[in-house]
Amino acid sequence: MELIALGFQTLANPVVVLMLLIGVFAGMVVGSIPGINDNIAFAVFIPFSFSMPTDQALALMVGVYCAAATGGAIPAIVIKVPGTASSLLTAEDGNAMARKGFAGQALSIAITSSVVGGLLSSIVLLLFAPSLAMVALRFGYVENFALAVLGISSVVGLLRGNVLKGCIAALIGLLIATVGFSPMTGAPRYVFGNVNLIEGIPFVPLLVGLFGIAAMLDLMADILQSRSEDETPTALPAIGSLKISGRMMRRLAPVWGQSSLIGNLIGMLPGAGMLMAIFLAYDQAARRFRRLFRGREGESEWGEGAPEGIAAPEAANNAVTASSMVPLLSLGIPGNSTSALFIGALALHGMVPGPLLFTQHGDIAWMIIVAFLVANLFMWPVAWVVLRTVSRSIFAIRKEAMVGVIALLCLLGAYSDGANIFNMWVALVAGVVAYVMRLASIPLGPAILGLVLGPQLETSLNNSLVISQGNWLVFVDVVNHPISAGMIAVSALLWVVPVLMGLRERARTNATEET
Amino acid sequence: MKHLRFTAIAATMVAAAPVLAQSYPEGDIDLVVPFDPGGSVDVTSRIIAETANTLLDGATINVVNRAGGGGVVGQTAVSMAQPDGYTVLAMTSSVVTNPQMKGATYAVSDFRPVALYNLDPEVIAVPANSPYQTAEEFLAAAEEQTMNVVVAGIATSHHMSGLAIERVTDIDFNYIPTKGFGGQLQAIAGGHADAALWPMGEAAGQVGAGVRILAVASEERDENFPDVPTFEEAGIDIPIWATFRGWAVPEGTSDEVVQELSDLMQAVYETPAYIEKMEAAGYDPVFRDAASFETVVNSYAEQTSAIIEEAGLGQ
Repeated sequence: MELIALGFQTLANPVVVLMLLIGVFAGMVVGSIPGINDNIAFAVFIPFSFSMPTDQALALMVGVYCAAATGGAIPAIVIKVPGTASSLLTAEDGNAMARKGFAGQALSIAITSSVVGGLLSSIVLLLFAPSLAMVALRFGYVENFALAVLGISSVVGLLRGNVLKGCIAALIGLLIATVGFSPMTGAPRYVFGNVNLIEGIPFVPLLVGLFGIAAMLDLMADILQSRSEDETPTALPAIGSLKISGRMMRRLAPVWGQSSLIGNLIGMLPGAGMLMAIFLAYDQAARRFRRLFRGREGESEWGEGAPEGIAAPEAANNAVTASSMVPLLSLGIPGNSTSALFIGALALHGMVPGPLLFTQHGDIAWMIIVAFLVANLFMWPVAWVVLRTVSRSIFAIRKEAMVGVIALLCLLGAYSDGANIFNMWVALVAGVVAYVMRLASIPLGPAILGLVLGPQLETSLNNSLVISQGNWLVFVDVVNHPISAGMIAVSALLWVVPVLMGLRERARTNATEET
Repeated sequence: MKHLRFTAIAATMVAAAPVLAQSYPEGDIDLVVPFDPGGSVDVTSRIIAETANTLLDGATINVVNRAGGGGVVGQTAVSMAQPDGYTVLAMTSSVVTNPQMKGATYAVSDFRPVALYNLDPEVIAVPANSPYQTAEEFLAAAEEQTMNVVVAGIATSHHMSGLAIERVTDIDFNYIPTKGFGGQLQAIAGGHADAALWPMGEAAGQVGAGVRILAVASEERDENFPDVPTFEEAGIDIPIWATFRGWAVPEGTSDEVVQELSDLMQAVYETPAYIEKMEAAGYDPVFRDAASFETVVNSYAEQTSAIIEEAGLGQ
């Protein structure tokens, strides 16, 4: 308790609070601009942070990190272009809802879900950081492999209709993930003598292309189509009222709880990251929706405006932000690539994250934790201001002009990740590929999941087998690796249950036909 | 008339050359970090630049991040830059091995070492609850059973240090390649592997929590860990295995410019605030001038090329 008070005391400096507020505002804006994400924003900001006092610099970074995940939902909902990778899934139901004239409702659900997810995970961080870090340590190579299998199994929940195409998409993602020098042998794979590919296809430009550029091509096709049909292009949905009913809040509360829990657990585990959390939460929410709401009067289909489809990924991605600090602050292990940049920022200020951080620099360590809580409290009012000012003026731009602006921002964002022209080509090619996939109705989600989880699957499988001397049963060893065995069992259920349900349904329809 | 003008220009050029060198630096210097912001090379480079900029008059050192390809992109760019002293590379050991291992098109001889500011010796680390208390116990056990040793990746400097240990002992290791220090730390602190080969800089921050250091591959014991023996004391016949960080310029840069930059680095090293900052960030600051740095580079090249050849690594 005393320590938490120390954190508040450090944060209580008006300049530090102001920096946190600026960070939340900047993060929201950065997140809401397609092509620019928190990773890129940090890369630009870290050099500046050098000349700032430690508490101010870190407060600003916490603000940006928290809010970027929320801001990403704004363009995802209004123009179906995810502002950040974390709002990839929000774009489906969110934009569908906006097109039906409920943009304000969708935005409001997204922001409220973000705040709830963020707050719950800040509280977890505040109360349990050091003890939870021990959970992360129980994850060895075997557990990491099982976790990756669980992640890839969540694909099932994403598939509507064609299972084969979903599996093809996941395979494409896994295949792309093999590009680069193999960590296992040190040998180049699909590098073709290009030094830019040594560490694999650069990830940030790849994402920028898959979301930003692809969405821009989509917008362009929209405009062309409405032109050829001699219509005026449909205007962007007006944002409208931001009120959500108490009934909706009560309906979404279980989804928030579930998604925040998933986000908390995944965020704590190094390497799993935000994308895996949103997929898992989305998958769970989809199952719930189908069980409880599908087919009811006035309900949309899943993916066509279901409120759970917005609430789940948004609560989960903000839950990841704070919980990814658990292993980082307690052990010096970053939970994802963005939180890894906090290590750099701390090191620049002469602090090494790890178990000693709390004893040597307790004030800063606890300030960071408290700042997560406060940043989430700032989020709603800041989001309201950003929507009414920045977003409103951005979305007032004509669609044609917006296509150009997004393209420019995407290329700029890709380039600024390493100041490398090659990255712009990566973004362009990835955008075209994603667009072609969409035309062939191959879903993008499973491909991204394969891309993210590929390296983890590969190295953890290899290393588990090396350590166990080639024993494949190690993954279902209930005695020595109970966590792994449990996750493998759940993954198996994720695949088997829908098949059984389908069979039962078929049997039932057959039975009714016979009578 | 034409002819006269030409000689006049030529004469000015000849006369200008030494003057230019003497007045170096008269513009901003780009210090190219071939990695992302926030990494160890970036952090140390920014600390150096900050101090250097308080010493320079009329010139500024700008840290420029050119990340990609595991450092190769930025390194290649500097190897092709004008050798005028206004493009400096934050040079790491990977420059030595990248041409052989990663197919980089430059050669080590395309760079002139300027000064060295940090040496990071390899350590053998084990989980805090490991049964092996000393290096002797660990090495003896390793002869009986194959140890699972975490390294940053196959064909990295850390993997090669393991191969070097295998060469001089009767030990064979099982290498567990794990990208990123976080994942490696998770494996050791969680007791999922037997040992790790780490740079001291990263290992030091974890001692006292989940990690114990058994031996360090340097000629002298580390001041902060006086109880940790050197490799030679522990019975491993490797006097030193250390990755290095320093400055280099493109080959063809004049001696005067190299001298200026080396002097600048020395002046930085003699600033107390700089030492303080480096140590707080977890790096042991040292200073070696151009000639001495070149010796370090050459001996590292010798050590690694033998191992690369023997183990059949690289392309």
